[in-house]
Amino acid sequence: MLEMNLFFHPKVRVEDFEAAAMPHFFDLFRTARLLAQDSAEAEDLVQEVYLQAWKSFHRFEMGTNCRAWLFKILFHRLHHFRRRWVKAAKEEAFESPEEQASVAAETPVPQEIRDRDVLNALEKVPVQFREVVLLADVQDFSYKEIAETMKLPLGTVMSRLSRGRKLLRQELAAIAVSYGITPPGKQSAKGESA
Amino acid sequence: MNVLNFDSKQCERIRRHLDAYLSNELLVETTTEVLRHLESCDACSRELEARTHVREALRRAAESQVPPEALRQSIHRQLRKMQPGFWGGFLDRGWVLALTAAVVVVLGFAATQQWIRVRRGRRIVASVLALGVSDHLQCAIKGHNYPDVAKSPEQLRQQLGPQYAGLLEVVQQKLPGFEVLEAHICSVQGSPRKYVHFITRGRGTILSVILTRREGEQLPNGRGSTSGVSGTVNLYEGHLDGMNAAGFESKEYWGFVVSDLPQATTMQIATELAPPLTAALDAGTRSQALESPDRGPFAHRPAQRTRSSQKTS
Repeated sequence: MLEMNLFFHPKVRVEDFEAAAMPHFFDLFRTARLLAQDSAEAEDLVQEVYLQAWKSFHRFEMGTNCRAWLFKILFHRLHHFRRRWVKAAKEEAFESPEEQASVAAETPVPQEIRDRDVLNALEKVPVQFREVVLLADVQDFSYKEIAETMKLPLGTVMSRLSRGRKLLRQELAAIAVSYGITPPGKQSAKGESA
Repeated sequence: MNVLNFDSKQCERIRRHLDAYLSNELLVETTTEVLRHLESCDACSRELEARTHVREALRRAAESQVPPEALRQSIHRQLRKMQPGFWGGFLDRGWVLALTAAVVVVLGFAATQQWIRVRRGRRIVASVLALGVSDHLQCAIKGHNYPDVAKSPEQLRQQLGPQYAGLLEVVQQKLPGFEVLEAHICSVQGSPRKYVHFITRGRGTILSVILTRREGEQLPNGRGSTSGVSGTVNLYEGHLDGMNAAGFESKEYWGFVVSDLPQATTMQIATELAPPLTAALDAGTRSQALESPDRGPFAHRPAQRTRSSQKTS
């Protein structure tokens, strides 16, 4: 059916689509890779996103935010095909709406932390928090854009972000401690009490 | 940093805003408040650095994920494959289904229209042929308005009058094996319609050749209505009241061949008769020889079906 739409829009050229959409190829892949089970699933996802985007490109208004549009498709595909996301969405109880930012609870993350450590820590963050953290802190989407992309209330986005960032820092600190890279927050506690 | 001013509750509040501050999502007033606090709080500044560091580390780690070049190529190929050419979109399955449905609807509508046309045409043919059959039954079969011994051609021509006398020769020539027993102009009781009636005998039965004005009415001209063509004349056939009838039309007349002979035989006879009779009638029409001053040769004749009335002509 979608190819039929393109038939009625013969002026839509694949070259135009590629010029608008392919610059975001790396960003889409990175996000997909950090949310999918494995690299193969991420590749399938990205491919589906581009094919889906091309099929509905006649509806895309040139000059508007192509990147946000592509990410919206990415998350639509993710949520559509992976039922576990639905399950995750129901686990709102896990989110603490009134997060207490304890001064002493924050554990410093060492400078020496490696990419692999960060990726391992990120993987331990539940996916509903991980996805908003990636959109905000890696892809630099505004909170409002994230809410539109994820079709979530702004408050939920902010809540998940707060929780996700904290979980990531905790995971990173735990990894660092396990590697013996840094003492478990002693310096920080000392500095704060000074 | 002013250590003396350290306020854990204030730090707690500021730290809650640090991530939003890094994302530039704070209101101007809150941003100012955060900045003012950071100027005076070393611990919160370190916390901000730590969070900035985490964010940078996360970004770096994410950027380490490099997509395979084959994926980009694969997407490129598939996009090219999906680009609709002139027929590309046309051959889309959904489009084909829609087109097929439209064609089926159009063909179905056309078939229904054709079926209705054919049925209507057959009804008209049957009603017209019924005139000939009725004339044959009333005058020749039930009325027995013919002699056992054929009248002489002179007598028949006289009965037919100058308008139709010439048709006698055509009938005699085109009906080999048949003897013209009677030829007259007959009227239908209770109707202004009249007809020229040739009553012949042959092949063990009585066969009528009847000509009557069609008064502007026309037999349908199309497949399903006609049963054959002789020269340029369409032929029609029907079976009514035990009689087989074949019909044809000239510019102003309908002609019928009616008998109880098989349908194929009746049609064969009509095939021979129709073109010369039609030509003769049309020639008569053109020369106005057949026309009377009012509405033709039959208009002033009495409307009754009797042997005497036939002889008035």
